[in-house]
Parts: sequence; structure tokens; C-alpha cells
Amino acid sequence: MAEAEHDWSLRVRDLVKSFKEVRANDGIDLTVEPGEVYGLLGPNGAGKSTLVKQVIGLLAPDSGTITLGPHDLVADPDAARQLCSYLPQAQMPIASFRSREAIDITGMIRGGDRETVARRRDELIEALDIGEWRDTVGAKLSGGVRRLVGFAMVTACPGRMVVLDEPTNDVDPLRRRLLWQEVRRLGDAGVAVLLVTHNVMEAEKAVDRLAVIDRGRLLAEGTPSSLKAEDRGRLRLQVMLAPRVETPELPAFVQHHTRVGHNLMTVIAEEEAVHAIGWAQELIGLGLAEEYALGATTLEDVYIRLTGDVEAAGREAAS
Amino acid sequence: MTTLAAPGEALRSGPGYWWHSYRMMLRWELTSLRMVLAITIIVQILSGAGFVLALGLFFGQVPPRAALFVSTGVLVVTLVTIGLVLGPQLVAMQKAEKTYDFLWSLPVPRPTAALAWVTTNLILGLPGMAVALGVALLRYDLDLHVTWAIVPAVLLTLFTGTMVGYALAHSLGNPMLIIAITQMLIFVIIGFSPISFPAEQLPGWLAAIHRWLPLAPMADTVRAGLTQGVVEDVTRSYLVLGAWAAVSVGVTTVVLGRRG
Repeated sequence: MAEAEHDWSLRVRDLVKSFKEVRANDGIDLTVEPGEVYGLLGPNGAGKSTLVKQVIGLLAPDSGTITLGPHDLVADPDAARQLCSYLPQAQMPIASFRSREAIDITGMIRGGDRETVARRRDELIEALDIGEWRDTVGAKLSGGVRRLVGFAMVTACPGRMVVLDEPTNDVDPLRRRLLWQEVRRLGDAGVAVLLVTHNVMEAEKAVDRLAVIDRGRLLAEGTPSSLKAEDRGRLRLQVMLAPRVETPELPAFVQHHTRVGHNLMTVIAEEEAVHAIGWAQELIGLGLAEEYALGATTLEDVYIRLTGDVEAAGREAAS
Repeated sequence: MTTLAAPGEALRSGPGYWWHSYRMMLRWELTSLRMVLAITIIVQILSGAGFVLALGLFFGQVPPRAALFVSTGVLVVTLVTIGLVLGPQLVAMQKAEKTYDFLWSLPVPRPTAALAWVTTNLILGLPGMAVALGVALLRYDLDLHVTWAIVPAVLLTLFTGTMVGYALAHSLGNPMLIIAITQMLIFVIIGFSPISFPAEQLPGWLAAIHRWLPLAPMADTVRAGLTQGVVEDVTRSYLVLGAWAAVSVGVTTVVLGRRG
């Protein structure tokens, strides 16, 4: 079978795209293997959407190449649309579609035959636990369920690559897990998944590899563990300050810190753990802090270090 | 166990792919409009028939030539308002709600999506047109000579109206601008175009402009298919209309092919 002849990797090489003076993508290189879930992380305006829109054939780069298997996606945007399935960040335009219809029609538009799409639709509806809304029109769906229907629409007949832009927005925690399982299954079936997000904690659990992108450039790339390697030997001490308390003077062992709202996050060396706990308890004793938590550094600490995007920390604290 | 099929090695192409894409996009369009489909058709019917009847209420005795112009003109208004006004407004909405990118990421040949939209316009516009014509016949005892020429006239009028609207909607990035222009178009179509009245009744300069705009030729071609001895030089109207159709198809092709 010809299947073995092609390597169906997505290869982006030296991609440059400018809008007037702004270089939205400034020499990006990345490769997504078939079966791989690849996260694209970065703050708002980092250039993620611009990159994705070039992959799916909606934007043309100023220079650089994008190939998927034997196809040049820059020269052949029709091929890009056939091979890549896209879940945008905005909600799907399915106000008057019943959930199952939206999935069926999109699956068939994407080239699936009626029976296969119908079977896959039932499978997705069950896997995402949205059977209750199978015949409900989009206008009556909650944001989260509509999002899940959107996910089912684009994965009913996914092609070689699925691009998911913030797929879990509005989705409840239980069904988020179901959605991530389905993303994993796509990977297992050999589909390359490009996941765009700024939810670092979710990405850490869901992706095989990831890239951190900011101001149009790729700042780091690797598996979550390899990206955290530099932080090995460090711990994260998170202190919840009391309301209206200024950031207290930090001991010398604090390597770096970020504050979002009442949440003070510090990174310390492992051997300073005892001192750090003592300091946190002292803050609580003085009424300056309410609680603290000591744990391993996460991908988020890496992300903040790379991008300076403290918003992510704020979201994490809020959740 | 998953039914997730491995995608084929070859890309889809050829007439089967185009036909499948056309059918699926038509289904998509009709389903998207499901909630407003019936109401849109009813509004089209009521506004077309209402326009015809209102004329009689205004003037009591309507001269036969005026009745003929209004009755045949209304058909054109009914046919093109969806393509020229509603269509661009829907696109403006897609742009404002940011669903536009998803729709254009679907793997269908662009012309099949455009043709599906033209067909949707035909389905939305034809009932209103037929009812308006029936009402006019009952009310004014029109002297009609319907010939086969009505078929290409209706199709070309609808196609051109839809494609001009399509080109406009896809060329302009700003949704509010699209809506503003289409609102203005309604006034131009109904009040300032020689569709429901002869061009001689317009100021000379405006009549001269209309010789090169698509609206008067639309009215002329449709009227020529329904009457005898009313329209002069319908060939020129077909040529102007054909040119507008070609230009709007060209503009749409360039705009949709453009990738930022």
C-alpha cells in the first residue's frame, strides 16, 4: 500500500508572515509527526492564530514553507483544506442545526461517506457524553456543549491533521477529560493534532510535545519534561497573601517570583524547602498570608519564565 | 474500537467531488437558514404581492402601462433583494461572529459554495416572484406574453444579483460597512432604479448611469420575457448583465483566492 511511502509529518520551515510593520510569524520552524499531539502555547497576540491560518490555507506566508506529507500547503491551499480539519476559537455557526446534523454534514463535507460518518458521529456523541443534546438545535445548547459538538464536527472525518484552537473553552471539567481522551484517540489513529492554547496546565497533560511562541518567534520546543528540565532541582512555593497586603520583602533564596492578585508564586531551590516553609508560616503568623503550597515546578513556571505572561498564572490561580 | 478511518492517499478531485461538495453546501445553507427559511419566503411573498396591491390602493385606477411596469418590476426586486441585501448581511454576521474562517476552511471547491448560495437564493426568491405575478394578473388584468426567454432572464438576473452581493460581501472586511452599503442598496433598488418605472422618468444623468448598472438590464430582460413590444434592445441588456455577472464572478474568485 502507498501508505508507507509518505511521511505525513507537518513541516513548517522558516515561516515569515507580516501584517504591515508587525512580524506576526518571524522565522518559525516546527515539525508535527503523525499521531503526535503538539501544543502551541503563547500569550494573546503571540502569532499562534496567524501560524494556524497559514497551515489550513486561509493565509499565505510572506516566505517559508509548509508541507504535509507530499503536499505543499502554501502552493496548494485546497490540499490544506482537505487534509486539515479546523476547530476555531469562536463558536460554530450551527444555531439552526441539530447537533447530529451538524456533525453529519461537516463529516460528509470533509469527505466521509454517510454510513461511516453516522457511525463515527454516534461514537463521538457517546464518548463526549452529549447524547442528551443529540437532537437539540445549536441555538439552545450551552457554550460548552456547543463546543463539544464543534469538536465532533471537525473530527468526524479529520483528515491527516486536526487543528484545535482552545477546544476546551466553556467545557465542564468532566467532559474536558472526555475531550482530551478523544484527542488522544485521534493521535492513536495516526492523526497529527495541533493544539493551540494558552491554558498551560491542560496542555501539559494533553500534549506529547509543545512549542512556546511569543512575538512571532519560537522560544522553546520539546516534551513537557524536557522543557521543565532546566527547572529540575527547583520547587514552587505559592503563597496566598491576605487581602490588601503589599508583596512582602522576599528572602534571598527566592530565585524569581510573580504576583497575580493575592497569589504570590516563587521559585526556590529544593534544599531551601525547609527555610521556605518557615518563611511562609511566618507570613501566616504575621497575618500577611492565609495559606501556602509547596510543590514541583510546573510547565507554567517555564512558560512564565519564557514569555513573562503572568496572565496564565492568574488563570491558574483563579481555577 | 474506533470507526476513525485512515484518510485516503489521494486528494479528492473531479466532477464527483464538485457535485458532492455542491450538494453538501446546499444542505448546509438550507439548514443554516432553517429557522428563517419559511419566514423569509413569506416575507418575500408578502412584500412582492403587497407592493403590487399597494399601487392600486395609492392610485385607485392604475394606467395599464404603469401596472405592467410595476408588476414586472416587483418580480426583479423580489428576486435580487436576497442576493444583494440578505446575502451580504449574512456574510457580515459571519465576519462579526468570527465564524467566517471555519466556513472557508471547509474542503469544498469555492465555486460549488457560491453555486449552492445561488441555488438557495432561487429557492428563497421564486415563490415570492410567482405569487407577485399571480396577484398582479388577478388585480390588473395584465396583457402578458410569456415566452421561454423568461427562464434565462430570471436565472441570469438572480445569478448576477447574487454574485454582485457575494463579491461585495467578500471584498469588504468591515461587517458594519457591508451592512451600511446593503441598507443603502435597498433604497437604490426600490426608489432610484428604473425597475418598476421606465428610465425616461429619471433625470437624464441618472438614466445614463443606469444604462451601465445591472438593475435596469435585469428589469428589461425579465420584462422582455413576459411582455411584447415593451422592451427595446434586450440584447444590450443581456450583454450588460452578462458583463456584470462575469465581473462579479471574477472579483469573487480573486477575493476568495486571496489569502491575506
